[in-house]
Amino acid sequence: MSDSNRSSSRAPAGGLSLTEEQKRQLVRSTRRFDLRRILGGLFLLYGIIVTIVGLVNTSADVHQTGGIAINIWTGIAMIVLGILFFVWDRLYPVPEEDILKNLEREDEEKAVGEGHELG
Amino acid sequence: MLIAAADNSIRLNLSWIDYVMIVVYFAVVIGIGFIARTRVRTSMDFFLSGRSLPAWITGLAFVSANLGATEILGMAANGAQIGMSTLHYYLIGAVPAMVFLGLVMMPFYYASKVRSVPEFMLRRFGKAPHIVNAIAFAVSNILIAGINLYAMAIVIEAMLGWPEWVAIVVSAGFVLVYITLGGLSSAIYNEVMQFFVIIAGLIPLTIVGLNRVGGWGGLVDSLEHTESAQKLSTWAGTAIGHVTNPIGADWLAIVLGLGFVLSFGYWTTNFTEVQRAFSAKNMSAARRTPLIGAFPKLFIPFIVVIPGLIGAAVLGNQLSGTAGAGKLTYNDVIPKLIQMYLPTGVLGVAVTGLVASFMAGMAANVSSFNTVFTYDIWQRYIKPRMSDEHYLRVGRWVTIIGVLVGIATAFIAAGAANIMTYLQTLFSFFNAPLFGVFILGLIWKRMTSAGALWSYLAGIAAPTVVWISYLVNPSLFNTGTAETMYGAIISFATVLVVGVVISLFTRPKPDSELAGLVYGVGKIDLKSDAVVGDQAWYRSPALLGTIALILCVVLYLPFL
Repeated sequence: MSDSNRSSSRAPAGGLSLTEEQKRQLVRSTRRFDLRRILGGLFLLYGIIVTIVGLVNTSADVHQTGGIAINIWTGIAMIVLGILFFVWDRLYPVPEEDILKNLEREDEEKAVGEGHELG
Repeated sequence: MLIAAADNSIRLNLSWIDYVMIVVYFAVVIGIGFIARTRVRTSMDFFLSGRSLPAWITGLAFVSANLGATEILGMAANGAQIGMSTLHYYLIGAVPAMVFLGLVMMPFYYASKVRSVPEFMLRRFGKAPHIVNAIAFAVSNILIAGINLYAMAIVIEAMLGWPEWVAIVVSAGFVLVYITLGGLSSAIYNEVMQFFVIIAGLIPLTIVGLNRVGGWGGLVDSLEHTESAQKLSTWAGTAIGHVTNPIGADWLAIVLGLGFVLSFGYWTTNFTEVQRAFSAKNMSAARRTPLIGAFPKLFIPFIVVIPGLIGAAVLGNQLSGTAGAGKLTYNDVIPKLIQMYLPTGVLGVAVTGLVASFMAGMAANVSSFNTVFTYDIWQRYIKPRMSDEHYLRVGRWVTIIGVLVGIATAFIAAGAANIMTYLQTLFSFFNAPLFGVFILGLIWKRMTSAGALWSYLAGIAAPTVVWISYLVNPSLFNTGTAETMYGAIISFATVLVVGVVISLFTRPKPDSELAGLVYGVGKIDLKSDAVVGDQAWYRSPALLGTIALILCVVLYLPFL
């Protein structure tokens, strides 16, 4: 794709004119990889691994830590945190306009990147 | 009784489960790089995440970019060596500086639309000080990245048994891949992830450690028996003229040197930090970035310094200040406690967190270096007026070159570790004078370009002279830390004097060019880009800043 052609042929109003379907697609794909989902997934996975290790090796853990089943406690805490990340993502998704605004500002951003604002 | 592992090695015994967790983490890191790649269309996307990130992400990245190898191992080492006095670095140092950045300086930075801290220098003072600032930042940052890389390789070698060169090449390779792909967004997302993982590793370590020494009471008892009880106090022995505290400086030097000059200098002018706030989506989010970062920062000492104290109590006379054959150093405290106390499972979490934090520290250096090199040096002085695509391409190439130079520095550091330590001390002189220049320039519109240039240079030279005198005659200061505090104060004072004198003899910029860059000249609109929800009371910068400052006082109270 030749970027220079693309930006010069665009209407001066700026921004890509997307169809409603493309916009929905973009919002969906951005939200799919929200950082909170990645964090939630990672902590859920770690939490499950750590909890299972804790359940299998309880006596060894307790011996090393002086009485605390640290893997079980940490594992449960990580699972809870992981779920909280998913809940947070669910309740407060990234606003649509934030996602689209970023795309619409592409020309403006390029001007800033080229240093025009600073003269 | 408590010395379960009397040997002096910090080699960890990882099982395959722990390795699975490390591998999963780094697979996610690379995955984030590819996701971030799809959103990089302009150079601003690459260098400043398109100024689009929400405050919670930039805020956690702000604190996490500083949570690298030197910070975690170094502050735990301080905890073992000087005890609770280490709290000064957080409560008189970092947090007030972050509040100051959010409330006072960020409006100037963000409203002026500068893309880097050197660019603010350019807007306010013109080209001469800008060139000095940009080159000093770029060179020092890439060398620091290399020195950090080497520091990491030593620890990874000791913990995991990887040869140093493997550790250097592998971790630099990861940083290279994910920064070249996704730029600052990659760096920031990984910083946020690393933040949570390292916390998830350090909290169990602190809990188990406290349990093994018999709780807080047991820790206090054992410190009183084996070490000086002064490790539990912060302000005792800091009277002027009667200094007996382990830092070796009186309260005025701690407040002015460590607090005001060193910490304010680091947190408000170091672009590696401030860049995170520049990537926020609007003024409100940019101001909240350091304020949100301040809250975790308030509590990090309790999972870093307390393990240090536990190390002092448990390992006591095994620890020494200098490395020697088969000896533990203060820097080994955290890895040693991990080895002693954490069973497979949480062990994997803690090791992942440590390795990730090492890598994130280097990535932060690289992602700020490529921005300053591309915008402030390449675009400004070498190839201006090119297309945005050109600068995006340059940014990617500079990232690759930067990482390669970092690797080379790491190998040089391996051969000349002492010189590298000196170099790092030298670079620490760059922030204090920059802060002096900015503060003077912000409050005094009469300050001129020549005043900025020469006071900045004098402010770098002055602490260098103090430091060399200290190397020649170590009786000048009680400790090396005390030297840096006095050095910083001298640097700041030099900037003020030289800056004022030279400005009075040179011609200032007209007011029309200073709007929004100097306090009281022009107006900064803090609300023009506000979005729904910014007005919520719990998002008020003034409120967040006040609460953070109150907590600074409150957290000192148990350890006066």
